[in-house]
Amino acid sequence: MLKKINLKNKIALVTGAGKGLGKACAVALAEAGAKVIILSRTKSDLIKVNKIIKKTKGSSKSFVCDVTNLDDLKKVLNKINRLDILVNNAGNNRPQHFTKVSQENMEYLTNLNMKAAFNVAQLCSQKMVKAKNRREIGGSIIHMSSQLGRVGCEGRNVYNMNKFGVEGLARGMAFELAPYNIRVNTVCPTFVETPMVKKFFKNKKFKSKMLKNIPLGRVAKESDVATAVAFLAADSSEMITGTSLLVDGGWTAQ
Amino acid sequence: MGIYLKNIDLKGKTALITGATKGLGRGAAIAIAEAGGNIIAIGRNQSELNTLKKEVKKFKVNYLPFNCDVNNYNRMKLFISKLKKLDILVNNAGTNIPEPFLKVKKSSMETLLNVNTKSVFNVAQLCANQIIKLKRKSGSIINISSIFGLVAGQKRTVYSMTKFGVEGLTKGMALDLAKHNIRVNSVCPNIVLTPRTKKYFADKKYNKYIKENTPMNKVVTVSDVATSITFLASEAASMITGASIIIDGGWTAK
Repeated sequence: MLKKINLKNKIALVTGAGKGLGKACAVALAEAGAKVIILSRTKSDLIKVNKIIKKTKGSSKSFVCDVTNLDDLKKVLNKINRLDILVNNAGNNRPQHFTKVSQENMEYLTNLNMKAAFNVAQLCSQKMVKAKNRREIGGSIIHMSSQLGRVGCEGRNVYNMNKFGVEGLARGMAFELAPYNIRVNTVCPTFVETPMVKKFFKNKKFKSKMLKNIPLGRVAKESDVATAVAFLAADSSEMITGTSLLVDGGWTAQ
Repeated sequence: MGIYLKNIDLKGKTALITGATKGLGRGAAIAIAEAGGNIIAIGRNQSELNTLKKEVKKFKVNYLPFNCDVNNYNRMKLFISKLKKLDILVNNAGTNIPEPFLKVKKSSMETLLNVNTKSVFNVAQLCANQIIKLKRKSGSIINISSIFGLVAGQKRTVYSMTKFGVEGLTKGMALDLAKHNIRVNSVCPNIVLTPRTKKYFADKKYNKYIKENTPMNKVVTVSDVATSITFLASEAASMITGASIIIDGGWTAK
């Protein structure tokens, strides 16, 4: 009756896998039995993640890649034959008040969080639908969204725009990829203990204000999000598509 | 438990399931037992409660049946207040009487409101109070909702009224119970093939309507829903509260 989180014989690609959530997802998928392909701009980070995966007796392959560079991305994806799972994770945030957002930051965030996310998803989907037995074995794409893909927040207008966009993309993709038995979902975490968030939380006032907005009274752990991603990647969620799994401690329930 | 992957493990936990002898409730009871959880089964049919015992006991967990109608508040209250262990509630008992809005009988409207709304509220309140009284470290309540808790469907006005209500209740409970570390979520399945819905699937027109509205072109199984319920019940979902897992093959993404 219970469909375990089991990814044996699956090949998964994770972008932004050098740090934070991407790293956690890569390791979690490997722990569930998947062969993992990890992408990051930073070689030293990739080496570290490979080592952790090896320690858990998992298997991984890594490529240095800037996902915002389409040629670079195409080159790397050309080296991959088969793909069953994509964790479309690479992303960033540069909080600024709406009236003060610089063109440079808006362009940078939108290129990474939306344009690159779209390109990665499209290229990987093209690869996934080619597998002859795709209908039989299925596939799963998980976009790393955010609670800020569902609700607004101060200083996050560009990030809000990007992540709401990812929510829309996921639904459209879910519809078009359903005939191939490829499921598309998002994960919407609250603030997570990642290097990116640690930087924001150096501002103590901001931290206590944000914690007050999380009914469970704690930030999420990387493992909370990585487990949700693994659940969506596996056949445990065989009929879940076009949805968002909120891992937000109740933030958006209010 | 890996470094980043949390297993769906309910060893040492006790779950109360209403409407436990048929359909989704029976599936949830078996899946939770499979994950190691002890089962308290509420149902109205003694022979079905006995059959469930055999299925649950295969997993070497405790089984406590209680033959009771969830609408009988006093009997439910007395029973729940005497429980020595309780961590999880699967608030499942529910029903449906599909009728076009203009023809909805007063008696069907009242039956649905009593079972799907009032009893759902009462059982949730009784169990939450007991979990708090027993000083459990954490708790998880899963309300069984539906896609018709999110969107409308033909001849489903009263059902939608009750299930939209359950969605609201879920979010409200999540906020009020967060400080007790009790998480509250719902699952929203598409129409699942169960003893209750068999008659809907027998209607060719309705069958076509379901398929056409489900991009994945598959019927959701009891096991799909039971797996999501068990995931939410476990610590694998420890930052998920006030959320809905939508198991609909893309129905509501359109």
